[in-house]
Amino acid sequence: MHALIQGVILGILTGGVYALMASGQTLIFGIMKVVNLAQGAMVIMAAFLAYQLFTRFGLDPFLAIPITTVLMFGLGVGVELLFLRPLRREDKSELSLLVTFAVALLIEGALSLTWGTTYRSINASYGNSSWTLWGYQITVVRLWAFVLSLVALGLLFWILNRTRFGRAVRATVQNPESARLLGVEAQWVSALGFGLGAATAAAAGSVYGLLYPFYPGSHYDLISRLLSIVVLGGLGSVGGAVIAGVIVSTSSAIVAATISPAWSEMTFFVVLILVLLIRPQGLFGNVDRGAI
Amino acid sequence: MTDLLSIHDVTKIFGGVHAVDGASLNVEEGTITALIGPNGSGKTTLFNIITGYLKADAGRVEFDGRDITGSHPGKLYRQGLSRTFQQARVFPQLTVLENLVVAGGYGWRQLFTSRVGRRDRDRAADLLEEFRLTDISDLLASELSYGQRKLLEFAAVLMSSPRLVLLDEPTAGVNPVLIETMERHIRERNAAGITFLIVEHDMTFVMRLCDPVIVLDAGRPIFAGEPSVVQNNALVLDAYLGS
Amino acid sequence: MRLPSVLRGGVFVVLLVTLPMLGLQHWFLNLLVFVLMYATMSSAWNLVGGFAGYPSLGHAGFFGIGAYTIALIFKDHVLTTGYEPFLLLPVVGLVGALIGWPIALISMRTRADVFAIVTITFLFVAQTLAFNLHDLTGGSQGAALPVPRFPADSFELPFYYVLAALLIFTMALTFATMRSKLGLSLVSIRADEDKARGVGVRTIGVKVLAFSVSVGITAMVGAVWAYYQSFIYPQFAFDPLVTIAIVLMTFLGGRGTLWGPVVGAVILESGQQLLTYQLGAVQLYLIVYALLFLVIILLLPRGILPTIEDRLRLRRRRRRTDAAAAPPGDHTPSGQPDAASMLGGGAS
Repeated sequence: MHALIQGVILGILTGGVYALMASGQTLIFGIMKVVNLAQGAMVIMAAFLAYQLFTRFGLDPFLAIPITTVLMFGLGVGVELLFLRPLRREDKSELSLLVTFAVALLIEGALSLTWGTTYRSINASYGNSSWTLWGYQITVVRLWAFVLSLVALGLLFWILNRTRFGRAVRATVQNPESARLLGVEAQWVSALGFGLGAATAAAAGSVYGLLYPFYPGSHYDLISRLLSIVVLGGLGSVGGAVIAGVIVSTSSAIVAATISPAWSEMTFFVVLILVLLIRPQGLFGNVDRGAI
Repeated sequence: MTDLLSIHDVTKIFGGVHAVDGASLNVEEGTITALIGPNGSGKTTLFNIITGYLKADAGRVEFDGRDITGSHPGKLYRQGLSRTFQQARVFPQLTVLENLVVAGGYGWRQLFTSRVGRRDRDRAADLLEEFRLTDISDLLASELSYGQRKLLEFAAVLMSSPRLVLLDEPTAGVNPVLIETMERHIRERNAAGITFLIVEHDMTFVMRLCDPVIVLDAGRPIFAGEPSVVQNNALVLDAYLGS
Repeated sequence: MRLPSVLRGGVFVVLLVTLPMLGLQHWFLNLLVFVLMYATMSSAWNLVGGFAGYPSLGHAGFFGIGAYTIALIFKDHVLTTGYEPFLLLPVVGLVGALIGWPIALISMRTRADVFAIVTITFLFVAQTLAFNLHDLTGGSQGAALPVPRFPADSFELPFYYVLAALLIFTMALTFATMRSKLGLSLVSIRADEDKARGVGVRTIGVKVLAFSVSVGITAMVGAVWAYYQSFIYPQFAFDPLVTIAIVLMTFLGGRGTLWGPVVGAVILESGQQLLTYQLGAVQLYLIVYALLFLVIILLLPRGILPTIEDRLRLRRRRRRTDAAAAPPGDHTPSGQPDAASMLGGGAS
């Protein structure tokens, strides 16, 4: 029982980080109907950047976030403009998958060249400290990661609901045709939206580096998890991604605590299959029947 | 005369906007009924709901006495309800003939038979002739002009011998000669027993061809009747001028 | 002057059969083995990714399944003739198809995005399982296969001929599909799936069939590879680079065509094998493949063969309309719009 609750606590804390990464990804899908297979790679890239800043300049990963976020935002906008924008409309849905996949590999290759393929981790001084609350261990790092995720998600929600850009995004997501009629500049929304998605990956990246050892190939594991979360939440629903992130992370942690850590990796795959069998559109997604 | 199609209190909401708002209407069998209304009145949304491309948030759709609410487009197609799209949706990578063959339908066992066989050509021959597509039957659909594509889409939809055909703006972007051709085909098919429900903006086309005319505004029908009566109705004029 | 397809096929078969008899060196035969492997896998991938327009990112997973299946069957087995693994290939193919079938059923019901998600996740899960299930697969230590006692100077030949047979089989299958209503259905799905469904095409059944056959063939290639290597590791049996390579080759040559994947495989795999000695580092492959892929998608999206075909067709049409130009004095406009002028912007 103790293990179970410990697992739940762990799951919720890390769930925040996954929620952050997944929300960026599902946002990109909502705006452009593109599954960004490079999301995981962007997280890892940000992790490496944070690692470099930490080992070179002693900059705390949390403090590196403003830097990495801005950099990755730019990268995201660049990727959209360079590789996704030129795709013709008929091919877009078919090819965008492969394009983002290629970008992910490009990032992986570049990271391998720069830092090699050994595992790295950001070993901050507070890395091992933890508090014990009612007999349950709460690591400092995870707690701060959770807080950061909440802050970042809050920021994301604020952007989406209170700014002009956010309103444009929401209009585009719900009804691209009407949005265009209302004068929403779809091109800009796409590029900035992709940048925003990349920025969420960056914010999560620093944290990721603190929590787990990583190497350039870690993005496969990560993207698989993120995709399961996004599908569970419903492609395009940011709120759904947040809830799903916590659910999947918690389930995974429970499995790790009660059965074995090796099988916890399967949890997200099982979740994916279950969602597709029972309710393919996820918790908050829309059934798409192809009306134009 | 029976109602081939009837919808009851159908509602569809897009992020707070009632695109279709408690709409109810009937289409009598054997008619060429028009569905008109200002931009944003919900015509295409209603079409999408009737034909199963969109799920309504509330309401019921009945076809030939059967409840078809939420039914899948493919299923409805096989039951005799088909539609065309505003943008003339054809299969660009297939030839004109192949477009017709696909629309004609085939069973499991035929999957392993010839792509376009003798029987297929025979089945499509009449339609090709009627729509003057025989000479270009081997051209890829992507090579056709917009008008030709509209004709092809229309012809294809007839391959399944439908009972009700929903036409989504058949004259949009099409030259006057072709409009006349379309009108002729619709009349001929109607005489042969097919019911039509047409969304249109071209008023002269509607007045010439359709009876009755249903007017939609802000997601629900506000008037229905003969074309000449509709033209002068205050409510209708208000809807068009007011928006 | 285009040779009729059957003649072209015949020439190709003869070429394949006689090539090794030219007394080629080992490194070249080895190159050919790998070219055949990738040509077969690309052709198989083409059925799903090219014709139906559903890009599977997990085919490497079935490659690995084939490899480990044959390894498991022949674990601690003593070979007699050395041809037993080849005889059991159909079994491996069946295993691959049987595993692929439910995966297709689950993932192909909605959209191509979901399909790609499931396949990429599947690859990763398969690799993880190969690492974790020690007792079955040997885990990270790998699995061994019995080494056949083929004569050293012609060691590659049996593998070459088996793969050549697989390639011919796959191409024949592709050819038959293109000529049948199955092919028609697949292309209609790629052209406009929602409309295809809307006119009653049995989209799910057709997609699942194509996928099952495609992965069954891929599994068989994996089995031959495993036997050729004699020792397999999870990270190489379930290697994302394999998926990327076959996708890239199909795109390069031209997806949805018969010869495209083969052309792509010949170009890329020969290039890769030849450059292995120069570059070696895996990281470089990744970057090169990824960049190449992006370049192809942006600059040559239809691939080599369709682009050539388009140019030829354009030239033929121009010649035809020039010949049909009205004689002087005739000012009546032609009833048929000029096809060549409408050609611009044709979808792939």
